[in-house]
Amino acid sequence: MPALPIRNTIPLMSNPWIAVGALGVVSVLIPLGMIAASSLIRPRVPEQGKTAVYESGEVPTGNTRIRFNIQYYMVALLFVIFDIETVLIFPWTVIYRDAVSQVGLTKALVPMLIFIGVLVVGLVWAWRNGAVRWVKPTATERRQTDT
Amino acid sequence: MNWGLLQQANNSTNGSGNGTNATNASGGMGGGEVQTLPDTLASLLGLGDGPLVTFVMGIVAAGLVASFLLTLVAVSGIWGKRKITAAFTDRIAVNRHGPFGLLIIVADAVRLLSKELIVPDGADRPAYDIAPIIMVSSALLGFAVIPMGSGIQLADPEAGLVYVFAVASIASVGLVTAGYASNNKFSFLGGLRAVAQNIAYEIPLVVTAASVVIFAGSLRMSEIVAAQSATLVSLGPVSIPAWYAFVNPFAFVLFVAANLAEVGRNPFDVPEAPTEIVAGWQTEYSSVYFVLCYLSEFIHIFLGGAIIATLFLGGPAGPGPEALGFVWFVLKMLAVYLFTQWARSAVPRVRIDQLIEIGWKGMLVLSFANLLLTAVIVGVAF
Repeated sequence: MPALPIRNTIPLMSNPWIAVGALGVVSVLIPLGMIAASSLIRPRVPEQGKTAVYESGEVPTGNTRIRFNIQYYMVALLFVIFDIETVLIFPWTVIYRDAVSQVGLTKALVPMLIFIGVLVVGLVWAWRNGAVRWVKPTATERRQTDT
Repeated sequence: MNWGLLQQANNSTNGSGNGTNATNASGGMGGGEVQTLPDTLASLLGLGDGPLVTFVMGIVAAGLVASFLLTLVAVSGIWGKRKITAAFTDRIAVNRHGPFGLLIIVADAVRLLSKELIVPDGADRPAYDIAPIIMVSSALLGFAVIPMGSGIQLADPEAGLVYVFAVASIASVGLVTAGYASNNKFSFLGGLRAVAQNIAYEIPLVVTAASVVIFAGSLRMSEIVAAQSATLVSLGPVSIPAWYAFVNPFAFVLFVAANLAEVGRNPFDVPEAPTEIVAGWQTEYSSVYFVLCYLSEFIHIFLGGAIIATLFLGGPAGPGPEALGFVWFVLKMLAVYLFTQWARSAVPRVRIDQLIEIGWKGMLVLSFANLLLTAVIVGVAF
């Protein structure tokens, strides 16, 4: 595989990801440092009841690790699709102006229109199937929770 | 054939980008690269090149940037927030400690750090501790590629814009971890709401940013800033620069609204919603962990402000010499912060189901309409 020509123009020292990695180290060290500083000056008075889970002052009932209707399962799937779509849109936006001047508006724009159109059809389908709708409990369920 | 086109176009973008860079770069290294802060420090100290020097100087530069951000958060989060809310509600707020009550910052920082750390029963222990660190790190990491003016930019990778969005959304993982690990029902609800909200508004945010990239033709942050330095309209002595907020105001409004949701401020502060679910995902966090949660929220607000300033408000551009760029940049960030606090005082919260509907049925459709309209207009007019 031939070496990419762009590699030769960028000297090693200005590889930007080294500095990004440095910030990564600093951005973990700062919270760790604050935790360490706090552990030096804060009191520790273990006591029963203090560690009870907060439920507006009442005695906590039941566990939190339960089955729960998160409502947004379909929405999360939609997100994955559209997130990948944005990844595919970005290269197109970068070259768009050059592409228009080289191959003309139709050739540069129409494929992307078709691509987004397919996904919009998908969104409309999900929308009409109620993926985005808030699922209300049925009447019988609601009566049970009220009493 | 397509790949050839892509590479060709890419090369030509790089060529033109390097040309425009020279106007923006303070030092202008060989090859047209923008001189970043680690490089500047290395050349100031007379150190040579090499990955190790860059890394050490990167640590120093990152420490400087992070310290500045922490100071900014301390002033705006502890003192400014109270003063602004007080001004909106016709009160005085802190005024006893030092001038304008500014010393409350020191007092509050010490007070919060010296609180007892109470870990709730049944907390999922490593996850409970890791979540605040994830949130703070993700917010701080975003600042690596932000050009803050006066030569203050840690790194300038080619994929800068994508990188910012990528690391900023790691915070969602922290939010849902915090919500789940706390073993609290309010936290659990808050964590789920946070992730639902972030995924609903992430796509409008990114797609709107893509419409800016169509104009700029690059993902490199310094080139996006440089592309905005041209003059749009001259009104006598005043010349309005071609900031994308003026070029494409519709995208600007969309982005600001989506950003409010992304940082979880009113009217989209559903994940915390103090009147509904206590404090949402941070209900069970106390002491230094609470400080870290609070810190991450404010750094995220400033990161959002930095992205808005870079993409839409010309980055560090402003009247006066180029050395003042940093001041202008901070002012723009603070303006966005002020806007979030204004919204906090003035706008009621939307309900969670309304939030999802606004995100998926409103903002998403509008952002795609904006992208396509921008593409058509750019293709026809330029």
